[in-house]
Amino acid sequence: MNWIFKNKLSLIPILLLIYTNCMPSEIDGIWRISLQDSNRTLIGDLEIETTESGLIGYLEGGPIDIKIDGENSIEIIADSRDVRGFIFNRRMTGTFEENFMSGTYQQEGAAAQREEPGPWSAVRYENKVVESMIAEHPDITGTWAATQELDFRKYTMSLTDKGENWLETYMPYYDQPDVRCTSIGLPALITYSFPFEIIESEGRLTMLYEYQSKVRRIWMEKDEPSEFMPPSRMGFSVGKWEGSTLVIKTNLLEKTIRDFRGELVSENATIEERYFLSDDGQNLNAIIILHDAENYKKAPIRRRQWVRNKATEIFPYSCDPDSFYIPMYQENKMQMYIDRSELRF
Amino acid sequence: MKKIICIFLFVIQFISIEIHAHHSFTAEFSAERVIELSGVIQEVWFKNPHVRYLLQVEDEDDKNVTWDLRGSPVVWLARKGWTKDRIKKGDEITVSGYPGHDGKKMLSIIEVKLSDGSTLIDKAPSR
Repeated sequence: MNWIFKNKLSLIPILLLIYTNCMPSEIDGIWRISLQDSNRTLIGDLEIETTESGLIGYLEGGPIDIKIDGENSIEIIADSRDVRGFIFNRRMTGTFEENFMSGTYQQEGAAAQREEPGPWSAVRYENKVVESMIAEHPDITGTWAATQELDFRKYTMSLTDKGENWLETYMPYYDQPDVRCTSIGLPALITYSFPFEIIESEGRLTMLYEYQSKVRRIWMEKDEPSEFMPPSRMGFSVGKWEGSTLVIKTNLLEKTIRDFRGELVSENATIEERYFLSDDGQNLNAIIILHDAENYKKAPIRRRQWVRNKATEIFPYSCDPDSFYIPMYQENKMQMYIDRSELRF
Repeated sequence: MKKIICIFLFVIQFISIEIHAHHSFTAEFSAERVIELSGVIQEVWFKNPHVRYLLQVEDEDDKNVTWDLRGSPVVWLARKGWTKDRIKKGDEITVSGYPGHDGKKMLSIIEVKLSDGSTLIDKAPSR
């Protein structure tokens, strides 16, 4: 009896360790985080889990560094890529309660797009489906110019082994399709800061993207592609109105890269987009979710906003890859490029 | 005498400049500093996916050095009035931007000052 008692006591620290490391903490769950830059607001999904190895977190599907100290202090570090292409971190520090966290953030690292320190906050995410009473869907036709609102532009994503292995072989710039005027496709095209136009006709929406002069058809009255329709980087897109939100699901994709880092998008990927207007109808907002379990442990999320701008015209985009090939030739890198042909698509 | 003016323009770092980078800028250019160059345009590629100029610059030893200037896509520059004929072969310009890594003679353009006193800014439309 004495032995059991003694050994039970010795188990207490171990049990405490298991409890603190394996049981969900009060911070676990999905949060909606918002961050106030000096002239814009960013919004994202923050997911926190307690695991055997400690606390882990994701912002928009990508890994973050997260630490909690003391009773309720929290620190989050998330990487991002600015509009000019430079990679930097946002360090968010603050406190958390059961259903609310807040603090201040600052940018770290050299970036061209400077952000002043500002406030951030997060609340528990509630996925409420609001049924719209509107019988007719809103008019989203017209020309839309990109803003830099909403999007955290999370840079790294949480990759599977296959996704990591791919990335190790990827050579930035030299393997990127659009530098040699090849289609970048979805989802990257949607997230680029170029204007696009939406035209509505019977049974379809047509999206005209300025970047690479791409045309995209969103089928509103059919669910399957025509027989023998080949896969492409624009895929096959079906649209449905859910109240005032346009939901587009795309499949039949070809391999491409998700973003400038070179993370892979497989042929089996699907893309979900949700478009909705601001209350005044002047902004079109979108959430873009990439579902590709072959390459990503968590679905990458991007958010974009455009402003209705009648003055914006879609300019023609002719592309000449000389600016890619000539310097490569001059730098004696052409053989390297040819030797890597099988790794590109 | 034209010389490479390699001035650290930290002030510029604090101005929010938005241009479209459609390839891996981190791999090619350094955001750590901004430099300024003066020289004569040797070649012009005013085409998508990005414009490119070759700039001949005299270095501190009075030797000619060619810098490879990279800019945004034509469609973005054109919206700001930066058209093909604004910078021609033989023009004398002063340009600031982010230099290539490891002393590579490349520059990601932020701003170009023309000999007529006008300025072209490689800035994407935010609206």
